[in-house]
Amino acid sequence: MTDSYLKAVDGGLVKGLAQRLGLPQPVVLRRHDPSAPLVPGPVLVVGGRPDAADDADAVARALLGWDLDVRQARGDAVPEGVERWGAIVVVVTEAKTPEDLHDPVLALGAQLRRLARCGRVVTVSRAPGDGDSPALAATRAGVEGFLRSVAKELRAGATANGVQLVAGAGAGDPAALAALHFFLSGRSAFVDGQLLEVGAGPAWDATGFDRSRPLAGRVAVVTGAARGIGAEVARTLARDGASVVVVDVPAAGEALAAVANEVRGTALQLDVTADDAGARILEHARSRHGGLHVLVHNAGILRDKLLANMRPAQWDAVVAVNLAAQLRITGHLLDVGGFSEAPHIVSLASTSGIAGNRGQTNYGFSKAGVIGHTRATARLVAALGGTANAVAPGFIETDMTASIPLVPRQVARRASSLQQGGQPVDVAEAIAFLASPGSTGITGQVLRVCGQNLVGR
Amino acid sequence: MATTPEPASSRSEDAGASGGAAGVPRTRDAVIVGGNRIPFARAGGKYAAASNQDMFTAALEGLVARFGLQGERLGEVVGGAVLKHSRDFNLVRESVLGSSLSPQTPAYDLQQACATGLEAVVSVANKIRLGQVESGIAGGADTVSDAPIAVSEGLRRVLLEASHARSTKARVAAFAKLRPRDLAPLSPSTDEPRTGLSMGEHQAITTARWGITREAQDAVALASHRNLAAAWDSGFFDDLVTPFRGLTRDQNLRPDSSAEKLASLRPVFGARLEGTEPSMTAGNSTPLTDGASAVLLASRAWAAERHLPVLARVVDAETAAVDYVHGHEGLLMAPAHAVPRLLARHGLGLGDFDLYEIHEAFASTVLTTLAAWEDADYCREELGLDGPLGSIDRDRLNVNGSSVAAGHPFAATGGRIVATAAKLAAARAAETGRTARALVSVCAAGGLGVAAIIESAAPGTEA
Amino acid sequence: MTLAAPGVPTGAPGAYRTEPLATTPGLGGLYARGAASSGTIAARRVLPGETPEPALPAVALRVEDVPTGPEVAARLAAYQRLVGERVGDALPAGFLHVLAFPVATALMVRGDFPLPLLGMVHVANAVTLARPVALGQLLTVDAWAQDLRPHRRGVTVDLVTEVRADGEGAYRGVSTYLARGVSLEATGTDGAEGTAGAHDAQEPAGSRPGFVPPLPTGRWRLPAGTGRAYAAVSGDRNPIHLSALSAKAFGFPRAVAHGMYTAARALAEVGTARGAAYDWTVRFAHPVLLPGTVDVAITPAADGAGDGHEYVGWDAWRARRHFAGTVVPR
Repeated sequence: MTDSYLKAVDGGLVKGLAQRLGLPQPVVLRRHDPSAPLVPGPVLVVGGRPDAADDADAVARALLGWDLDVRQARGDAVPEGVERWGAIVVVVTEAKTPEDLHDPVLALGAQLRRLARCGRVVTVSRAPGDGDSPALAATRAGVEGFLRSVAKELRAGATANGVQLVAGAGAGDPAALAALHFFLSGRSAFVDGQLLEVGAGPAWDATGFDRSRPLAGRVAVVTGAARGIGAEVARTLARDGASVVVVDVPAAGEALAAVANEVRGTALQLDVTADDAGARILEHARSRHGGLHVLVHNAGILRDKLLANMRPAQWDAVVAVNLAAQLRITGHLLDVGGFSEAPHIVSLASTSGIAGNRGQTNYGFSKAGVIGHTRATARLVAALGGTANAVAPGFIETDMTASIPLVPRQVARRASSLQQGGQPVDVAEAIAFLASPGSTGITGQVLRVCGQNLVGR
Repeated sequence: MATTPEPASSRSEDAGASGGAAGVPRTRDAVIVGGNRIPFARAGGKYAAASNQDMFTAALEGLVARFGLQGERLGEVVGGAVLKHSRDFNLVRESVLGSSLSPQTPAYDLQQACATGLEAVVSVANKIRLGQVESGIAGGADTVSDAPIAVSEGLRRVLLEASHARSTKARVAAFAKLRPRDLAPLSPSTDEPRTGLSMGEHQAITTARWGITREAQDAVALASHRNLAAAWDSGFFDDLVTPFRGLTRDQNLRPDSSAEKLASLRPVFGARLEGTEPSMTAGNSTPLTDGASAVLLASRAWAAERHLPVLARVVDAETAAVDYVHGHEGLLMAPAHAVPRLLARHGLGLGDFDLYEIHEAFASTVLTTLAAWEDADYCREELGLDGPLGSIDRDRLNVNGSSVAAGHPFAATGGRIVATAAKLAAARAAETGRTARALVSVCAAGGLGVAAIIESAAPGTEA
Repeated sequence: MTLAAPGVPTGAPGAYRTEPLATTPGLGGLYARGAASSGTIAARRVLPGETPEPALPAVALRVEDVPTGPEVAARLAAYQRLVGERVGDALPAGFLHVLAFPVATALMVRGDFPLPLLGMVHVANAVTLARPVALGQLLTVDAWAQDLRPHRRGVTVDLVTEVRADGEGAYRGVSTYLARGVSLEATGTDGAEGTAGAHDAQEPAGSRPGFVPPLPTGRWRLPAGTGRAYAAVSGDRNPIHLSALSAKAFGFPRAVAHGMYTAARALAEVGTARGAAYDWTVRFAHPVLLPGTVDVAITPAADGAGDGHEYVGWDAWRARRHFAGTVVPR
């Protein structure tokens, strides 16, 4: 799926022309490249008190542990001598009143123009909790609005996202750092304006953990993997070290086999709506790969129709594939104790499930339903030390979106803070992150991969 | 003889490894892990632009994907094609090189007409049983749509002479012999070279000789379509077939076929046989078809190390040939000879099988074979038996359809049948809790026929 | 038909004198002479009262030391490929017939041969190959005519050829020809049947209503060029075999396959069962029009005695027999 406008304005004469005309100026996003550094320049850590072993200090230490060039801004004192910041991390976990945001926010503001192309702003804050005082709740909730607004001000492929610690979680916890790592990296290229709640999660021993192959030794099942996002998820999970079982309907077998062979996994031709789909997936994963650690519910279909014209089959098929199949398969695996230790379930939701979309009552129902069951499933898998999350893609350049007429397609592409559509790999990276052992503590969440699409929350 | 109880000597649960029957050496098991084929297409259909190599590579790729064999160095890959261009002299090896298997996987081409695929299975199984290889793939491909076109004999000789000529003058002299009629291309013929009769005409003669009725043939054809359609609908082929070029089911399958429709078709073979009613139609014969298949075989240890399933084991096989040239025997009757020899070696009766897979070259091929086994005189005189070989329970015959419905891309049929039989046997064994045994037979041009015994083989029962 | 199994050679009847020929004559020239003398004979025949009683020349023509060197080798290979024999050094009986045929033809175009060459119908052939003949051997070919006898549609005559290879008797062929409309008596000639190469050039036996084709064992698809191809290897360029046009001139709707081509192909298809030495017979019925399809049944002899084979070829659509014969090993 080629976005030729993006290619044209990313350089040369057209870029200048687009600037003068005030047209959108999307840039080619920085994506994961194992040979490139985590961020394109030094990292500035804003917030915290001077010489205190506080959260900002813990974050800075962790960043140093990732071999980054880290500078800390204490109060409003900002280090000089840096041309471009690769990232600015704003740690406001200890803010108690709205006034406490003053220093870090303005320190960030002073440095924003020095943020590198495709740089990162990440806030580390605490999520509002049930026991919060009104002032504390206001302070913590305020960070959300602040972060989303900052994201919309950034240009040139830079993004802003937030790590929200929930009660009991520390800024230096593995899950919090995993989220920070993800937001800083090229893996989060199309994630923008999002806040991810991070809980304490079960204890996780990161000893010997290889960040270049976070899924080594894990067995992952991806449904709908023959093409598009699913195929990219399979590739990404395999790249991260997982043994991958790719699943798709028998009719998609040729493409499925090609994906399986590319990722050196195994192909399972299966209709996820079959009654025994869960049992067959489990049998295959167990007998052939020795377990089942990661389940990606990606299979999904569209049968767009205005509700007034909706035929029963159009409603039923979408609900069956997009929602009921996920419930049945996960339900079976939980019932029979099919998951291996610390399972990660990631389901594909959609921004349509959050914001709604004309002509997609069936799809919207199914995708909102996915978000609903994800929260409920998260509680069930917590007992296994696992997580359940959803990823909600926005406008992604796939075969599916290529079929949208030209003008609406261009509008949809530009209607995000990054002024472009995402790539399947962007969704895959988010899923791989939520499937990785390091993300334990992030559960029941919906992570949007939408370039901060204007639609929805 | 119809339903002889299981002879103790033939069951393998206790014995473990193959063999044990008189005259059969004890060897380790060669097990069938699984199979893969592409849906079979009608000639000139979805695969019109695909070559044998394209199709066989696709069959291999699906098998590799199903069992995670990427980069695996297998013992060997064996297969072939009946209609093969000379440039495809290394068809199987070239297909391996185009697949995700390790390029260090050896391969060779084998050709035994329609029995190519089954003979390839037997060959690989034998090497596994002997310990020469641990694993292998057997299969085949055939395309009628992309069949090689040959030049006429006249042009061929002129071209050969010209290419051997040492001077321009000699070359010119060679070409001067060319006549316009020499320039017409020759399409490949499936006629028997020695008789000039097509396979259908040969079978029509056999059909006439055995007095097989039109109704009986149409009934076999109808069952083939219904059984195959039911198998597809039940998902039986979900792990046996990988779609190719947009074709997701066998193109020849007519789920809505009916006795009335079949009865309305005009006979196409045997129309000129004096004094017999022609009965073989396009509906009860196999159509020309394109396709490819592959079967993964292994030693039990190899399969276990890779956590691969074990469906069945190849117990034994027998290849027969008959003297059809001067009409002594029907062209496609060799399986009738192979099976009793195979059974005798294992002390088995014809009734001692849970499943029968008799290749439907034509519906009447199945019927003439069954009729022959029930005929006392024939069994005495031609097969050297004391009496009739026996009858089979027709409910166990080609239960998931056969070639009349699926189509018959010559060299691909053996792989289709073996994978189907292995999966059926495994399922039957899982259902009943005892070993299930299948008899497989494939007839072939040249008066050839191969029969094999396949038994369900739960993993890890080898001694 | 006289197919005794005497020793080979039997030699010409005692009263015959042997007349040597220097070399094997060319068939082209013989046909020209044959056509000319046929005109003379025909002219004689239509003048009532002037036809003398036919008598055969008591002459055996002999060609000695016929080489079978490289030139013959190439022709032999072409013959073998055409009729389906295995290509090799052994000369099949049909090829010996081809080699001896010009000598017999030379006899038939002699002025004292009583029957017209053109228009004579080859109705039967009986061959004994007593011992294998191989390339490189020197051949002696004798040919004579005998047994002129009445036939209900004319008269028949046997042209006998014998071949010695390196001095040893090896081959004896008896070709029976029918000259239609010719009578052994001076009277009773039916002038209407006298046209050479009449349209209905068939032996009545072939149209017997009782012929029921057996189950075939083979089918020959004979292309239009079959006659030309056999003419090229046999030298028999009788115009009825060469093209539809030239065949029409002799009353055939299309070109006609050489009878000996069909018999030679049947002989080849019997295969190794015939052995190295054998008796081989054929009777011709309806001509095979080209292009055409012939169904054949080549089967072990019905009586089951010995290893002999019998064969029959027919037109399956019309259920008409083209030829039938036997191959019996010696």
